[in-house]
Amino acid sequence: MNLKKKVLLPLAGPVAAILSWLLVLAWVPPVSAGEPTEQVRQTADEVVKILRNKELKRPEKKEERRRKLRQVVDRQFDFQEMAKRSLGIYWNKRTPGEQKEFVALFSDLLQNTYIRKIERYESGDEKVNYLSEKVEGQYAVVKTEIITSKGSPIPVDYKIFKDKNKWEVYDIIIEGVSLVNNYRSQFRQIITSGSYEELVKRLKDKSKNE
Amino acid sequence: MRKINLETAVGLFLLIGILSLGYLSIRMGKLEVIGVKGSTLFAEFGAVAGIKPGAAVEIAGVGVGRVKSIRLKDYQAVVELFIPGDLKIQEDAIASVKTKGLIGEKYVEIAPGASDKFIPDGGRIRETESAIDYESLISKFIFGKV
Repeated sequence: MNLKKKVLLPLAGPVAAILSWLLVLAWVPPVSAGEPTEQVRQTADEVVKILRNKELKRPEKKEERRRKLRQVVDRQFDFQEMAKRSLGIYWNKRTPGEQKEFVALFSDLLQNTYIRKIERYESGDEKVNYLSEKVEGQYAVVKTEIITSKGSPIPVDYKIFKDKNKWEVYDIIIEGVSLVNNYRSQFRQIITSGSYEELVKRLKDKSKNE
Repeated sequence: MRKINLETAVGLFLLIGILSLGYLSIRMGKLEVIGVKGSTLFAEFGAVAGIKPGAAVEIAGVGVGRVKSIRLKDYQAVVELFIPGDLKIQEDAIASVKTKGLIGEKYVEIAPGASDKFIPDGGRIRETESAIDYESLISKFIFGKV
């Protein structure tokens, strides 16, 4: 015992120092902000910046503001993938031309619906908390929570995947409801009770009326 | 001679009874008889709202399989689904925990996707939707969001 102590004691100081130093190096903040989170955060920050811009809040700048919002959202969202996933099993039955037309209609629908929703959040008191991030190969989930001006949290999860070098959103889950699945079941209903042409007609009408 | 015959008859009767009981328990318990071909898939959910092994797996309302087991991993529910036959599930299919009616039994609904890649046997359905907590939604609606 004594011998052991003698041998070990002189080493204890440096070993402890090295260990603690390693611990500092290995220590990661509880919410590790990886690349996916950073990209989502960037987009969210840009959206908030546009929303808070007093210059753009004037009624005559409405179109410009909307255009800017679309630009920012366009960069982060993969509308082609979202449209494909939303159409589900009917996607592969369409010709490439029809698929292209559908993607355009679908991104119009999303942008009209959601940019209009975002626009209403004008007070600027909303806060976004980034809760966690889970990366698996080329897929990742970024869990966030939007704290409304009244203080109640709305959980929003972003499903993103790496296409080439960029992380792109392919689904959003709000309060546990998937955007893609919501459209997938609606589109399936319209197609099975009517036809694909009927769905296209409805989407066109909707974008015209907006 | 007659005595042996009677005993054999009783024995036979008992044997048939036991076999019928076994058959019944397999059918009623919805046990998969060993040797049924099919694929096993996994799905992770944030909340499954008490789904039980044996619960139905449906596509477009048609039963295509059953929930084999449920366990907890990293505070997430991992549900093991058994799908008999050679039905293939697309990689971007979405599995969601749903309720029949408002208070009915729970089941797993799979919405087939558009991908031309399929999930291999033993693979995982990446896209999932947890059970929706109707109570909290209703109370949010009734009492308003604070």
